[in-house]
Amino acid sequence: MSDNSSKWVLRASNLARRYGSGCPYCTTLTGPDHDTNQCQVCGTVIACSGISFDLGEAETLGIVGESGSGKSTVMQLVNLSNPADTGELWYRSLGTSNAEPINLLALDKFARRVFRNQQLGIVHQRPELGLNMNFTVGGNVAEKLLMAGWRNVGQIRQRASELMQLTELPPSRLDDDPHTFSGGMLQRVQISKALSSNPAVLLLDEVTTGLDLSVQARVLDLIKRLQWELRIAMLVVSHDLGVIKQLASRTVVLKNGQMVEHGLTDQILEDPQHPYTQLLVSSTL
Amino acid sequence: MKQPDSLKALITQLTAPSEEATSSDREQEEDTLYNFGFIDEDSKREVRRKLLKAVAIPGHLVPFASRDLPVAKGWGTGGLQITLALVKPDDTLKVIDQGDDDSVNAVNLRRFIQKTTNLQVTTDTLEATIVQTRHRVPEEPLGEDQILVLQVPMADPLRWVEPSIERSTEMHAEADYAPIWVYMYESVVRSGDVDISSQYPVMVEERYLMDTTPAPRYDVPALHMSKTLYLYGAGREKRIYAIPPYSRVAPLEFEDYPFKTEQKPGQACEKCGSTATYLTQHYIEAKSVDGTASHSATNGTEGYWAFFCSDTSYCNKRKKVI
Repeated sequence: MSDNSSKWVLRASNLARRYGSGCPYCTTLTGPDHDTNQCQVCGTVIACSGISFDLGEAETLGIVGESGSGKSTVMQLVNLSNPADTGELWYRSLGTSNAEPINLLALDKFARRVFRNQQLGIVHQRPELGLNMNFTVGGNVAEKLLMAGWRNVGQIRQRASELMQLTELPPSRLDDDPHTFSGGMLQRVQISKALSSNPAVLLLDEVTTGLDLSVQARVLDLIKRLQWELRIAMLVVSHDLGVIKQLASRTVVLKNGQMVEHGLTDQILEDPQHPYTQLLVSSTL
Repeated sequence: MKQPDSLKALITQLTAPSEEATSSDREQEEDTLYNFGFIDEDSKREVRRKLLKAVAIPGHLVPFASRDLPVAKGWGTGGLQITLALVKPDDTLKVIDQGDDDSVNAVNLRRFIQKTTNLQVTTDTLEATIVQTRHRVPEEPLGEDQILVLQVPMADPLRWVEPSIERSTEMHAEADYAPIWVYMYESVVRSGDVDISSQYPVMVEERYLMDTTPAPRYDVPALHMSKTLYLYGAGREKRIYAIPPYSRVAPLEFEDYPFKTEQKPGQACEKCGSTATYLTQHYIEAKSVDGTASHSATNGTEGYWAFFCSDTSYCNKRKKVI
């Protein structure tokens, strides 16, 4: 699947992840047709399988589905924090000419960590997953910079202040305890941290879930502004079609760990083809 | 009921106080009571095997089967096991605690090692083949034929930032040391400079983050390209690590907040006058007022603060020379 095949940054091909030993019946007894992702024979959970997509330059791809559909697993596979059982995940640097694509799943752990730090930024649904609540806000933003080899406190603080301004946080609160920040502000801190290394891909995992509507709107406005200003590729995971509609140009719909539909977001929302997608769209409040 | 004579004899034999043992018997009994170096040979071999691994991977924490000793864990059992696993009958041993040969911990450990090995002991750093130490590196430069064994209370420097041992092991494997850098960044933000006074984290051979035990920052430069083998043992945490001779050891530092030792200009040892040694501060009480007091009361107080060399044997040696 590719609408942007000439300029993709990230290409996933048949990604799969299972939890359990597996058996010959796993693939035939799970998936949307059986309305389950757990094998009835061996009990293995097929968290996701056959996941393929391209993420183009400066594009935002949405992944939507209900709880347990495999959205977060796909996000973990792309973030290289959870190993895939099968499949390939290719990355191509668009900054350098003639750069050969690299299969991220073939990298060793050390190289994966370096790649994750430099080229990926992730914003989690729960701030405590993305932030160390024992460090100050500035320390959290500084972490990726320090990991990338920055060794000048003055320059680190300067960069952290710029990022806080970019995400509409007061730089005067750089040295504050994150416990004193609201939920929406903590999401902004996570975004600041994610952007600190100028990543090629930003991963957003249910970023507005749990926030009240006005705060949701402000966070979404911020992300849209960053899309426009930074022209960064984004992968947005959400169960909320409203979020997907606002952010994503193309969307993948997941059910029971498998892709049931993909295409332009407008097309999916206006003219859903799969019964599950129709159900999702019709159940939107 | 009358007991048979044979039974009576047996009871008498079992209940009668044992005959007075002669001193030579007692010595013989003591000699055979312990294995050389107290711990059994298999356990020594286990420690030596892990020491070889530690030397092969400088700065890497190697788990080992820490044995129980007649010393409470946390009182130097890690260093003690390394020393006992390494010593040969012809070794000369020095044991120091915070630079001092005569502190309780040093005296007890020295006595224990001597009792179970009959080694020759010394307080002269240059005479010793093995120096067991708690939290100090001796002032006199050690040579290639010497080994420094350090007792370690907390082996993993990542413990400050990562309570999970499993996670910190992964962080070491992936050289993921960003959290410790953030810890240092936070200390600069909090106090205006890196406020780690002892146990300063260092990178060994640009690969492994290592704890320098609660040794003062003054001792950290001595680890870099040292001629001597440094062996670290944490008995309670069951970890061994090492700095082989001529290894690169660099303290973590920021460009705008470079690593500094504690020494301040103008400080000198009260006994030997040294200004180039690690000094500790002590309160000197004024002596009685019969005119024999060597130090008079100052500023209306009864005594005063003075600096002394932490390494007592080196200080005494200097004093004799002077």
